[in-house]
Amino acid sequence: MIERVSRAPKWGIWALCVAVAVGLQVAFASSESFPAGLDHTFSDPIDDFGRWQQSARRTNVLFTGFFTPLSDMVGWALDTVESVLLWVPWYVLPAAIFVVVARTKGWVVGLIPAAVMVYPGLVGLWEVTIDTFALMIISVSIAVALGVPLGVWGALNTRVEKSIRPVLDAMQTVPAPVYFLPMLMLFGIGRVPATFATVIYALPPVVRLTTLGIREVPPAAVEASEMFGATKRQTMTRVQLPMALPTIMTGVSQTIMMALGIVVLATLLGAGGLGQEIMETLSQRRTGRGFATGLAVVAIAIVLDRLGRALAVTDRSKLPGRKVMAGAAVAIVGLTVFGLASGITEFPEVWSVKIFDPIDNGVVWIRDNLRWLTRGFNDLVVADFYVPVRDLLTETIAWPVLLWIGTFVGWRIGGVRLAVFSLSMMVAVGLIGMWNQSLDTLTQVVAAVILSVAIAVPVGVWAGRNPRVEAFLGPILDALQTIPSLVYIIPAVIFFTVGVVPGIVASVLYAIVPGIRITALGIREVPAESIEAAQLFGATRRQTMLGVRLPLAAPTIMAGINQVIMMVLAMVIISGLVGGGALGFAAVSAVKRSDLGIGFEVGFAIVAIAMILDRTTAAVADRLRPVAGH
Amino acid sequence: MSDPQLTSVNAASLAGDNIFKVFGPKPARALEMAVAGVSRDDILRETGNTVAVRDVSFDVVPGETFVVMGLSGSGKSTLIRCIAQLVELTQGSVSLNGRDLTAMSEKELRDVRRNNMSMVFQHFGLFPHRRVIDNVAYGLEVQGIDRAARHKRALEILDIVGLGGWGDHYPQELSGGMQQRVGLGRALAVEPDVLFFDEPFSALDPLIRRDMQNELLRLQADMGRTIVFITHDFDEAIKLGDRIAIMKDGEFDQVGTAHELLSNPATDYVREFTEDVSRTKVLTAGHVARAEKSGDPMATIIVGAEQPIDTILGTLLSTDEPVAVRGTNGELIGVVDRSAVIELVGGT
Repeated sequence: MIERVSRAPKWGIWALCVAVAVGLQVAFASSESFPAGLDHTFSDPIDDFGRWQQSARRTNVLFTGFFTPLSDMVGWALDTVESVLLWVPWYVLPAAIFVVVARTKGWVVGLIPAAVMVYPGLVGLWEVTIDTFALMIISVSIAVALGVPLGVWGALNTRVEKSIRPVLDAMQTVPAPVYFLPMLMLFGIGRVPATFATVIYALPPVVRLTTLGIREVPPAAVEASEMFGATKRQTMTRVQLPMALPTIMTGVSQTIMMALGIVVLATLLGAGGLGQEIMETLSQRRTGRGFATGLAVVAIAIVLDRLGRALAVTDRSKLPGRKVMAGAAVAIVGLTVFGLASGITEFPEVWSVKIFDPIDNGVVWIRDNLRWLTRGFNDLVVADFYVPVRDLLTETIAWPVLLWIGTFVGWRIGGVRLAVFSLSMMVAVGLIGMWNQSLDTLTQVVAAVILSVAIAVPVGVWAGRNPRVEAFLGPILDALQTIPSLVYIIPAVIFFTVGVVPGIVASVLYAIVPGIRITALGIREVPAESIEAAQLFGATRRQTMLGVRLPLAAPTIMAGINQVIMMVLAMVIISGLVGGGALGFAAVSAVKRSDLGIGFEVGFAIVAIAMILDRTTAAVADRLRPVAGH
Repeated sequence: MSDPQLTSVNAASLAGDNIFKVFGPKPARALEMAVAGVSRDDILRETGNTVAVRDVSFDVVPGETFVVMGLSGSGKSTLIRCIAQLVELTQGSVSLNGRDLTAMSEKELRDVRRNNMSMVFQHFGLFPHRRVIDNVAYGLEVQGIDRAARHKRALEILDIVGLGGWGDHYPQELSGGMQQRVGLGRALAVEPDVLFFDEPFSALDPLIRRDMQNELLRLQADMGRTIVFITHDFDEAIKLGDRIAIMKDGEFDQVGTAHELLSNPATDYVREFTEDVSRTKVLTAGHVARAEKSGDPMATIIVGAEQPIDTILGTLLSTDEPVAVRGTNGELIGVVDRSAVIELVGGT
């Protein structure tokens, strides 16, 4: 145990590591890539299954009796919600949003999301936005309907919670496109599989926070209820659930944000809506339109975020009375009736064009005038890093060497368990024939992580030390965190066209936010006494930073880097949509072509990489904790 | 002062028999050791179990206020939860009016809770999502009493506990003392025969605490319920309790009236508490009265037997004559003179 606490690894062991690596390299120098001995072992049966389910869809009772009716039901719900939203006059939606937000946050705050909601209409995307909205409403409703009971069950039963938790953890490390294939298998293509993929992806927060909320209800309140002779059900519905409601609502609002992220991506499954609009405009190089569509997604993100926050309010005493709310409801009904009666229901077409042209022109102008910078950056990343590193990993270095290094590093950092885990995952990835593509993806991830850390850590340190910087960055980071991942790809593609670089740039943009956040947190949390002690001994600012602040904040910063890595990986996969290549491209094309066998292999490789990276960085963070406990 | 809504004669008797409560992984083994008299620390070391309550028995007569006083870790909080059946007893039984609570089905127990007992909690245990009136009406609500009836009752109770007009507020808008009045009102609304108080005033500042103690004495004078009251404050125990149990390491060290504890502490532990207590506050004229052989009161100054010494100190010290002490029916109990008081104040 003492050995694990010591930080400086012994030189001898590393020398041995290098020696073995060199030996393996010499021995296997001429060998081919990883022997994909199990290339068809798993994919063929899955393909067979895929073919079987295609034919069984009309005959097998599993489909005719369960999946198809379920699919029909969800499809019907989606249609209904969408047609209702399109049937009511367009201004009813912003008005309703205003009422919900203003109820808890006040008039002024309520006006912001209501105004923002008008934007998609202004750029001529009203109907597409309503598509996406309907998908959101149904997915989030299903997620809440499943997640709250599951969370309650977990809160009441520790064993249930213990078995749910690792599943939820895993669900959050797996990049979204991996979810799509099984959904495709069960529900075919269209909005229904998209709905279910969204439900699964967005489920964890509402389950977790429901469990947390119920657990956090003060025991005295539960005892009091019990003491008055309430039944378990009465205590749950009258005391525990209402008292947990603010926490549950926080979970719902996180679920909403995650759902938005994937609903937009679910265009891959043929979900339509804003995601499809983005993909089409990007592939047609309609720069300004793509940008305007991206902004529409951002607008929805803002609206949904505000709605979520408005729902998660703890203090009931400040809410307006029933009369005010009844008045507001009557006003909205009145607005609807007026609109339907007068026929003024559709978003006025004339408004939309005016705002779209300046955006288009502006974006094109910026792109053309920044070309000197973007071109240079593109060349730097591709020619000086990506290509040489990828070739080094896939061609120069023999695969046994990589296996050895991966295992050895796993052992040094996380002990035997991590070493065995990493080794078996790597071997499995190699055997199913995903070795080179995984290394390609890994190279992109490394490039993006290096850039992200290089930006996020210094900025985070600065923000952590300077409250004014933090106050300035706070709202910007808040806003960035609500934006769905696909949107980050838009500016990247506008400025760097296609290839690996837009993916890397989007990854960096996406991942620096938590990096900065968590680094700042780590620096800020360094105890003041430690700093004062260093200053009393006459340490310079630089010495204090390097000797006290950074080491004490290191575990937290490492946790931030862990998040950065996971987010980068998710984005690098998504960037397969815009020519990022490697696993991302394979995943995207597998989904597009409903190619289940390959899709499974790709999905496995992605999950394997995610888990190795996650566990390794988590182990590093653990080792950095100053008091190792035992 | 008397309030018709609270007067009640259906106070209940409450008894505990050899109550044990063990927390931890191997309760059976730990229980065996506890019964055999092995010390708490040794049991913890050997089995990893904590013996929170060890062989506690008591009898509370109808209308009595029984105070359990102990420091933190003494097991008093666990004990009241055992009595109220909020935690399961490891061994022993609790009976209310002769009915064994530990043998009841869930439904029977629920009925007893709805009709016969209620509790006031240390951190109030209020429901922040309900208005004050709905907090007070909660016990009635779970019984299925309709809204109009329970609100009517809750409004009456709010007047009784001095919160008239606060019904539509939320608990967090009230001060700590007022919140505990809500807790008290909630407990009273169901007209329980037995009231449990789990350190109800310890979270309040001293002045508010004194108000609440007086409030409870006033209400109890009207309603005469059976009360089990947990506290860590010896002064509070003396002020409120008809009888006091001193609890240490899960056991009762001594049970008795304040006078008995003060004049005859059974253990050093009990003595430590009594040492700091001002005797003149606890002892009444009746306690220190010397029986007068002649039976003829020469004294012209008369005090009541129930009056604490400190309230009649001025009278006693202003005269050389003995002062007559009379009981509630006017009968002569004895006399008190200055020397007795000096002995009391000067002695330890």
